[in-house]
Amino acid sequence: MTDGRTVHRRLEDIFRIVFNDDAITLTDEMTAADVPGWDSLEHINVMFSIESAFGVQFDAAGLAAFENFGALERYLAEHGR
Amino acid sequence: MTAPSPRRTPPHAGADAALGDAIESLLATASATEIPPADVCLKLARAFQRAGDRGAACRWATRVVDAGDDFAAWRGAAAVVAACGDAPQARRRARVAVLGSYTTTQYAQLLRLAALRVGVALEVHDAPYGQYRQELLDPASGTRAFAPDLVVLATHEGELALPEMADDPGAAVAAELRRWTSLWDAAGEAGARVVQHTFAIPPETATGHLGAKLPGSRYAMSRALDARLGEAAAAAGPHVALLDCERLAGQFGKERWFDPRYWHLAKQAVALDALPLLARHTAALIAAQLGLSRKCLVLDLDNTLWGGIVGEDGLAGIRLGAGSPEGEAYVAFQEYVLALKRKGVVLAVCSKNNEADALEPFERHPEMRIRREDVAMFVANWETKSDCIRAIARGLDVGLDAIVFVDDNPAERQVVRELLPEVDVVPMPPDPAHYARALSRYLLFETSAFTAEDAARTAQYRARAEIATAEASAGSIEQFYRGLAMRARIAPFDAVDLPRIAQLVGKTNQFNLTTRRHGLPQLEAFARDPSCVHLSLRLRDRFADHGLVGVLIALGAGDSLEIESWLMSCRVIGRTADAAMLAALSRRALARGYRSLRGIYRPTPKSGLVRDLYAGFGFTPAGERDGATTWVYDLAARGPIESPYIELTEVGTETDDDRRQDGASAA
Repeated sequence: MTDGRTVHRRLEDIFRIVFNDDAITLTDEMTAADVPGWDSLEHINVMFSIESAFGVQFDAAGLAAFENFGALERYLAEHGR
Repeated sequence: MTAPSPRRTPPHAGADAALGDAIESLLATASATEIPPADVCLKLARAFQRAGDRGAACRWATRVVDAGDDFAAWRGAAAVVAACGDAPQARRRARVAVLGSYTTTQYAQLLRLAALRVGVALEVHDAPYGQYRQELLDPASGTRAFAPDLVVLATHEGELALPEMADDPGAAVAAELRRWTSLWDAAGEAGARVVQHTFAIPPETATGHLGAKLPGSRYAMSRALDARLGEAAAAAGPHVALLDCERLAGQFGKERWFDPRYWHLAKQAVALDALPLLARHTAALIAAQLGLSRKCLVLDLDNTLWGGIVGEDGLAGIRLGAGSPEGEAYVAFQEYVLALKRKGVVLAVCSKNNEADALEPFERHPEMRIRREDVAMFVANWETKSDCIRAIARGLDVGLDAIVFVDDNPAERQVVRELLPEVDVVPMPPDPAHYARALSRYLLFETSAFTAEDAARTAQYRARAEIATAEASAGSIEQFYRGLAMRARIAPFDAVDLPRIAQLVGKTNQFNLTTRRHGLPQLEAFARDPSCVHLSLRLRDRFADHGLVGVLIALGAGDSLEIESWLMSCRVIGRTADAAMLAALSRRALARGYRSLRGIYRPTPKSGLVRDLYAGFGFTPAGERDGATTWVYDLAARGPIESPYIELTEVGTETDDDRRQDGASAA
């Protein structure tokens, strides 16, 4: 499933698909507030898409548990498939 | 409707060329497989969207639906469809309100995509979650203002007001049933059809297996309620459809269908990865409600209905029936096909074979389940499959967009997909053991009601194919008509016929003068209105009983009787049944004292057939407005219209009931 792309690149692709915006680029310091169009609904869509792509299950707090994208990326690098 | 936005000029030619190269390379990848993978389809959809080609963007987005049920890809494709606005490939449009007891935002988005895949452009009103009752009952609600054609009640088991254990389970279930059917009534009053989700039961059942034998347990009551909803929906008629979520959840796996984390986090009662499946099934029901179900299944023979090639292996050499797992698998597939036939699907055969070879198993193989008489049209020759399917469509007088094609050979499937894009082609797996399931995944045989006409359809179509052959050698057309010995029964609408009438009103495209899609409640209102002349026509001939095939509604307008709606099934086009209906109408008009008949033709892309219909019966043009033409027939001067070739039996004429007194008489 990893098809050679880095975790960073896979994460970025998910965001681009969910928000239908190829201009989205993610940096380590960014948080949800920096992504245009982010709301509670997109939170669910992004969270679910990440879960299915990386084979992980977040706990009840969902993505809010991560300080920023850097933290999310490190978590996925360690736990994701 | 939004006007097409002008194509954006690319910033520079280099970016344009890069996009073009990317599209070329993706198209090459896509063409390497029969069903291109979801991510390739989505990339193509997004690339075409960037290139400003909305039609191609929508086409590739809908192909994500065929590539599997991946939520993320579906969501991406749904975003492309939403951004592209009006989809050019839609056959029909509908306004749908999604009223949920849980968060339905994603479901509503995916529903739009799934509906577009089956040819329906939806405008969706997604009501706030949990507000379904107020939205339906409050005349000032957003849903009522939206005026939906159809309401989807997306409800879940947690919403049921059933206790864990009831002393009087019968009363508890009855009260709950009324709560839901009252919503159907409210939707009906608002002029909307209903798709009601049934209540999938979650896996956490504290009563365990005991729950199944305790009528008072919530588990048993939920199951009882589902059964009662089925009975109530059957009584309500075709304008209420049930979406059997209990079945879908079981098929999907209940521990995956119910994901408690997403319920607690976002009030998602159905897991996001189950939503594509749910959306596909909902779209199939909506398509059925709109009369877009497919009617005809065209089957290959060798390696599709039996193993081996009869022309080479001989009758004794083909694998069919007990004795080998492969032979049993083909029998199981034939039995599934026959079950579809009993439901109203018309069967045809299209095989590259000598006809005598192809017929031999039907006539002589003891293990054949499908018999020759089950097949409405049998085409075995060496022409291309696309030509044969065209011939079948002509012979049975159905559109290519009513046909589904099944063939074990991927190359034949591809040829048909390319040359006849209107035909749906089922992707069949290599192993015949999976044939029946592969065909069962195809959803457009879904219908909104089961009528006697459905059950008898193959015999009717078969007779029609024979007539098409007879027609070529029948001499004059008059001789042909007389040779058919046609008899019609014309009667006012009644309760037994109304479901079939509503079905015809909902789906008839070609012979349809005004194409007004009245729902069942409106048709019932016409039937009750004493000033309305409403007629149904049944036709039989020497070969077959065609059933109820004509509907006409006329309303008084001064001293003229105006034909509000008139449509006939394409099965009987060219049989002078139109003259029979006008004959009955003109006699009734005279009996009620009207001096003229007025006909209106409101053109649609499919109804060109009847453009000159009124002129042919001696009506004279009386104006044109918004593309619709009005025609007048002077009854007083010209007398009633004749039906020279069809013997009429009329029921409910003015002489045998009491309508003469209260009918609108203008004389």
